[in-house]
Amino acid sequence: MSCGFEEDLTAYVDGELPPARREEVTAHLDTCAGCRSTHALLRNTVARLAELPAYEPSSATRRAVMAKLDALPVPWWERLRKWLRPVVLVPSLGLAAAVGVALLLAGPGPDAPPELEDPAVMELAANLEVAEDYEVLGLDSAEDLEVVANLHELEATP
Amino acid sequence: MSAVDLDSDAQAMLKVAAGDRQAFAWLFDRYHASVARFAFRFVGDRERAEELTQDIFVKLYRHAGAYKPTARFKTFLFRVATNHCLNEVRRGEYRVSHTSSETPEGEETGAVEMAGPEGDRPDQALAGRELEQVVGAALGDMSARERAAFTMCRFEGMAYRDIAEALEASEAAVKSLIHRATLAVARRIEELQAGTAPARSRA
Repeated sequence: MSCGFEEDLTAYVDGELPPARREEVTAHLDTCAGCRSTHALLRNTVARLAELPAYEPSSATRRAVMAKLDALPVPWWERLRKWLRPVVLVPSLGLAAAVGVALLLAGPGPDAPPELEDPAVMELAANLEVAEDYEVLGLDSAEDLEVVANLHELEATP
Repeated sequence: MSAVDLDSDAQAMLKVAAGDRQAFAWLFDRYHASVARFAFRFVGDRERAEELTQDIFVKLYRHAGAYKPTARFKTFLFRVATNHCLNEVRRGEYRVSHTSSETPEGEETGAVEMAGPEGDRPDQALAGRELEQVVGAALGDMSARERAAFTMCRFEGMAYRDIAEALEASEAAVKSLIHRATLAVARRIEELQAGTAPARSRA
């Protein structure tokens, strides 16, 4: 009983057809008993779906989602960005430069100077290469940083 | 769309991208029910829908930076939700378990836990519970994309154009998916009303 108009009947019921096509379907329904029957069936179905019991989502979801957000690891680029703030970066670079000069003047010794054990300085030192990369790339937005942070995901995508 | 025209959802989402948890909570409260309903209709199981809903919102938070305010937020959200559900089903993480097709007589399921009208009007051939089972059976027999399109259309009231964006499909394809899905549900309801097929058997 299928005819060329049947495919459009649901969109007709949903009001999703362009006006010209809608007029064609309206005219067709006057002449095609099969489509008229299907149209009535579809219209009845859409109306009946509104009678379905309402779905009540769990009230515990909010707490669970927030806990998952708390458990997310802080991306390395975000940690790095904190180090790159001028208030941290400038004194740290100054300190690193001073240490470098002191090392040059004093020559290599058996024990590392205590300043290099400062975890902040160590982390900055360990990431200086990355910091230079950011500077070269001119990445200044959170979106760009996220792209860099998720490069491994892009690489994994076939 | 200029920055001035940004709706409140888009503004909130831009704040989320900057790490604003309050903005995220606001969006969660606005769209939690929609996402949970979508997930439930998609997998047909309350517990699995809950897990999917949590994952979808966590994903939304983590990828907030990918949102562009040129897209409607709800469409963006449902693209995230649809992709997540389709991927999970594709990976075999979730078997679609719509209750009515496979549940033995009398067994309680997620679908029938829902509160709502029991269809006690004498002129109604189907009670709300029977209707739920019939629709669940039809959803279980659909392809994943038909189910996603049907759910967005019938339960979220989304326009075909927005569904097409969420599904990354053409509007013509969405029209066809929704037609096939709606017709399948219609046949189920018709059969039950005519008493020619039990709600719990696959056609």
